[in-house]
Amino acid sequence: MTKPTDLVQGTLDLLILKTIALEPMHGWAIAQRIRRVSNNVLQVNQGALYPALHRLEQQAWIQAKWGESENNRRAKYYSLTRAGQKYLRSEESNWERLSSAIGLVLKTV
Amino acid sequence: MRRVQNVLNWLRSVLRRNTVEQELGSELRSHIECQVEENLAAGMTREEARRGALREFGGVEQVKEDCRDSRRTNHLDNLLKDVGYGLRMLRKSPSFTFFAVAVLALGIAANSAIFSIADAVLVRPLPYRDANRLVMIWEDASAYGFPKDTPAPGNFSDWRTRNQVFDDVAATGFGGSFNLIGEGLPEKLTGREVTANLFSVLGVTPELGRDFRPEDDVPGATPVTILSHGLWLRRFGGDPQILGKEISLNYEKCTVIGVMKRGFQFPDREAELWTPERFTKEELANHGSHFLEVVARLKPGVGLQSVNADLGVIAQQLQKEHPNSNAKVGAFAVPIREELAGDVRPAILMLVGAVCFVLLIACANVANLLLSRATGRRRELAMRLALGATRGRIVQQMLTESVLLATLAGIAGLLLSVWGTKFLATLIPAGIAPMTGTGVDGRVLLFTLAVTLATGVLFGIIPASRVSQFHLAPSLKQGGGQSGVGLGGQRLRDALVICEVALAIVLLAGGALMIRSLRNLYHLDPGFRADHVLVMHTPLPHQKYEAFARRTAFYDQVLAKVESLPGVVAAGYTTWIPLTNAGGAMGVTIEGKPEPAPGQARIPNVRIISKDYAAALGMKLIEGRLFEQGDGFGKPLVALINQTMARNYWPGENPVGKRFKTGGYNEKSPWITVAGIVGDIHQAGLDIPARAEMYFPYQQQDDGFDPEYLAVRTSGDPMALAESARQQVWAVDKEQPVAGVMPLEDLVDDNLSSRKMQASLLSGFAGLALLLVTLGIYAVLSFAVTQRTQEIGVRAALGAQPRDVLRMIFAQGFKLFLIGAAIGLAAALALSRALVHLLYGVSAYDPASFAGVTILLAAVALLACYVPARRATRVDPLVALRYE
Repeated sequence: MTKPTDLVQGTLDLLILKTIALEPMHGWAIAQRIRRVSNNVLQVNQGALYPALHRLEQQAWIQAKWGESENNRRAKYYSLTRAGQKYLRSEESNWERLSSAIGLVLKTV
Repeated sequence: MRRVQNVLNWLRSVLRRNTVEQELGSELRSHIECQVEENLAAGMTREEARRGALREFGGVEQVKEDCRDSRRTNHLDNLLKDVGYGLRMLRKSPSFTFFAVAVLALGIAANSAIFSIADAVLVRPLPYRDANRLVMIWEDASAYGFPKDTPAPGNFSDWRTRNQVFDDVAATGFGGSFNLIGEGLPEKLTGREVTANLFSVLGVTPELGRDFRPEDDVPGATPVTILSHGLWLRRFGGDPQILGKEISLNYEKCTVIGVMKRGFQFPDREAELWTPERFTKEELANHGSHFLEVVARLKPGVGLQSVNADLGVIAQQLQKEHPNSNAKVGAFAVPIREELAGDVRPAILMLVGAVCFVLLIACANVANLLLSRATGRRRELAMRLALGATRGRIVQQMLTESVLLATLAGIAGLLLSVWGTKFLATLIPAGIAPMTGTGVDGRVLLFTLAVTLATGVLFGIIPASRVSQFHLAPSLKQGGGQSGVGLGGQRLRDALVICEVALAIVLLAGGALMIRSLRNLYHLDPGFRADHVLVMHTPLPHQKYEAFARRTAFYDQVLAKVESLPGVVAAGYTTWIPLTNAGGAMGVTIEGKPEPAPGQARIPNVRIISKDYAAALGMKLIEGRLFEQGDGFGKPLVALINQTMARNYWPGENPVGKRFKTGGYNEKSPWITVAGIVGDIHQAGLDIPARAEMYFPYQQQDDGFDPEYLAVRTSGDPMALAESARQQVWAVDKEQPVAGVMPLEDLVDDNLSSRKMQASLLSGFAGLALLLVTLGIYAVLSFAVTQRTQEIGVRAALGAQPRDVLRMIFAQGFKLFLIGAAIGLAAALALSRALVHLLYGVSAYDPASFAGVTILLAAVALLACYVPARRATRVDPLVALRYE
């Protein structure tokens, strides 16, 4: 994560999982998508992205397959495993609980 | 499911490393190319686009490393790298490696060999069901000189019926001889007459056939026998049809009803067959004839204390009921493992302790070496720290190296211990060895592995932790790092040497005490001369030699024939040759003395001998005469007595010509005249003092014990006469088995063998410790001299004489020795109490031994100091100052 958007630890995993939930994607595309969708607020550094991808793959939340990219290059496409889908759902609800709790605190105090 | 996938992923990362690496490379490359294309699309030139993409990506190698970390394959990689590096380091300094591995291998080998022995004696299960509930019961007749006496049938029978604590009680008689005739040479077998319940008390059943039944064990029952597995294989070829067969034992037809399992033995490995005891009612009421071995199975949950309390109560009842036989006779139980392991237990524990000391010294030595090496490697390590290695990684690497060393040593040690265990197997008492087996098994392997790893970590941890603490900047600044030995490092090395010296003193002192005990025993006068004496065992079968005349005729003829052999000086028969039986005693009444109070009865040992037995054995005549031709059947009864009997029963008088009789005051037995006094013989064991003892001529003693051992004094090598002497026995009775043909000296050696083994092992360990300590002191001092070269050079340049330098180095080394020796002597004094049971004729605090080993170690320490000190005096100031 680049400053000024240091996110709570573990959120990068959540972003990655959510991003590839729609369709298999390679690393570069994942970074681009996160940036675009967040209106350039969240810039994912490669130095963090790839270790995270490899960790998620090692833990079998996601799986990888080699395929052709849009411009006919070989690229490693990541997609969610079944366990990963479940994990994503639970992480999403965790995140929502957390952010609404923070929101409540910020509004009332 | 996910866990499985997890492991599979990890395995793929490890096993297909190249593929995974390639994929990682192309994945990152593809990322960069995507970026390049985007940059091109934004209007940059190809060159700019490429550079921009690379810049934005950052360090490719760093990302790769992080990805590997994510896959958790790095630990393994690091370990492999460390092992490889460690092996290279060890190969680069072969002398260090050889020395360290050799020292540790010796320590580990000694440890696993001694552990195998301890395991066999103290740990491995016995071949009886719930063996921890089995006890042996003994009579305590200390008042008569028999603190652990074989029980009488009457006492056994009363224990069996009156006790509250046992499931059941069984007994076996003496190791009897059974002459097996037919199918080959007559053979003397050792067997036991046992009560029918023996095997059920032990919790074992025959492998073939059936156990004894109560009806087999009554007087007049059909004779039956159960064979040991070994006898069945050896003599009957493992014949499965053996059951129901009749064999001839002691001229009596006897039916084989069972064969025991392989490995079963009771009460010792001599017994090859068992027959029912068939006690009569009268025998079961006999409280005065002590010859049983009694084993009992405790009720579940009963402890040894309540057993002994219960036995005490019964013993008190019996004392009142049978004051003549049972006054002052107690009873006690001993757990069966303790019984079988016997008095070897303290020796084994002593050796386990000693061998641990040796290993500790070896560890200290190697730790010292590694520490010196680590100090030499300061700069290398500082450089690695500066280049970004974490301290954890450095510690891990140092530990890997030491564990590697220990592993090499462990392998070498294991090979050594396989050989050592065979050598040490003689330490295992005969009673327990074949039941538990010896040798290196899986548990010993595990033990060695544990010792090895513990050793590796133990001696690796000190240098590693020191390295991880040191400060980077000074180490790098010190350049060569030669003159800047941290004081702490030196102090640690000193402490290790002090420990080594202390441990070595303890071992040396123990070894010295054991050797002195052994020497005392060898120089002790046993009362007989064991050299040039041939021993043979020819027990006469009762059935055939029922008639007294027939027995005496046998002895007369055999002795006459053997004495006529050329080279025979004297030949004699006795009931028990020395060192073969501790007991064999009979109550006596002294003429003209008041009846002793209950509990002070006079019960001397009795030996029935032939005329020239005293000459054959080399016994000393003190007073009166030995037996003569005239002391025959129908002539006045005579006896020889030993000095102890003369002193105790006729205090202040000359007993020669005085009379006594066997049995109690009211008994009508005839009076026997004391013909002479002979010197005391160590009958029961060289380290056991003599009891009162009397000798009767066999021609005059019809009841009780028969002479069984033939002793022949020869002018030449006794074994040279073995065959012709045996032929003379067979010339008298060709069916008579002859066993135990050996020189009397072998019996003496056997009697001392376990002591000899213990003494030589302990002194071997002490010698090893001495060697290691010498090397340790030498290594530390020569390292110190190297480190102080510059300082010594400066001193020499300022006018110090070689003598001063010598004194300085000596002082450094000798100080360590003095501190270590002081600690060691204190520890040795405290620990030698544990040796008391193993010593003979020497105090556990024997000043000569302690002083001797201290002087020995001091001499060796001086020598170890001398070489490096000498080198220090040769330091050339000019060279030294330019040293770095």
